[in-house]
Amino acid sequence: MQNDECIYIGEQFTDYQENSLTSETRARVDAHLTVCSSCRDIYQELNRVLDQLHEFPSLTTKPDFTQNLMSKIDDLNHQSPWQRVYQSSFTRVAGYAIAAGLIVALGLNIWIDPISPNGIRDYTGRENPQIQPMESIADNVDSLLGNTADSLKIPHRATNSGTSSLQLVSDTQ
Amino acid sequence: MNKTKTDEQLIAEFQGGDDHSFVELVDRYKDRLINFVYRFLNDMTDAEDLVQETFLKVYKNKHAYREIAKFSTWIYTIAGNLARSELRKRKRRKTFTMSQLSYEDNEFTPVDPDKDTEGIVFNTYAGEEIMKAIKQLAEPFKTIIILRDIQELSYEDISTILDIPMGTVKSRVNRARLKLQETLSYLRE
Ligand SMILES: [Zn+2]
Repeated sequence: MQNDECIYIGEQFTDYQENSLTSETRARVDAHLTVCSSCRDIYQELNRVLDQLHEFPSLTTKPDFTQNLMSKIDDLNHQSPWQRVYQSSFTRVAGYAIAAGLIVALGLNIWIDPISPNGIRDYTGRENPQIQPMESIADNVDSLLGNTADSLKIPHRATNSGTSSLQLVSDTQ
Repeated sequence: MNKTKTDEQLIAEFQGGDDHSFVELVDRYKDRLINFVYRFLNDMTDAEDLVQETFLKVYKNKHAYREIAKFSTWIYTIAGNLARSELRKRKRRKTFTMSQLSYEDNEFTPVDPDKDTEGIVFNTYAGEEIMKAIKQLAEPFKTIIILRDIQELSYEDISTILDIPMGTVKSRVNRARLKLQETLSYLRE
């Protein structure tokens, strides 16, 4: 029969197995496991499952994976619209003219820009939306934990998801 | 020698224009990512397409990587987000959700030699059984088991990838393992 102590002990299994409990809690788990056959069975079974997971058959990509990828990248490089534009010498000349115009305009802008006395503006991040962390997984967990309350009846603890998000940026199309 | 270089050194070189470093990163991560993504999609062709897409994103957006994060975290996040949106697309196509795949949905096809499963060999019945149990776990549990117990990532990396505190990662790992063990014992009955 599982009681409150069993629930508490069940919550310690990962730390117990990884040897990261305080000596006091460890002794409490040890003591419980010697008297509670139900928790002992669960713990032993858990260890067997973990061993099997660690030996899980590993998948490999097909032998031509990298080759296929690189040919996709080649296609990408050759089909880039900018590349096509710059392949034409006429547009290249026009491009230089536009670039020169932009430089002049930008120079003027910096010169007259009262916000940035040093003539430096930060354009970083403009067009780079942040990669979203796998938040739906994190968000869904509370409701799922509630719905899938298992027979061990481990009490649901509030999860804190208010941490810093990834400082990674990407063009996510 | 590339072997001694860190991922972060390789991506820096790639950002500097060295495509060989990109290929080295592909070689380092393609199998790790296929193992990660496959557990969500359960389809080898889709998984391989998604890993290709992940690398294409890395290639196209190489300058979006900043050295404040580990490269592994960055690429897992990209792959995880792609897998998530693929699942969302599938969810729209089907009428049920992953979490509704419950005990009644016991149908399991471990190997279809003509499709999808190239390269997958289940050595033991236990492997099939665990695969079946993982498939039945709700998504948060499944994710944490894949990241921690199959991919063997650190708590710190998982915390960054899932954007949850370390303490939450640990308690979720514990809970997911108990849930997996419970599912397995149900399957064995
Ligand atoms: Zn007990």
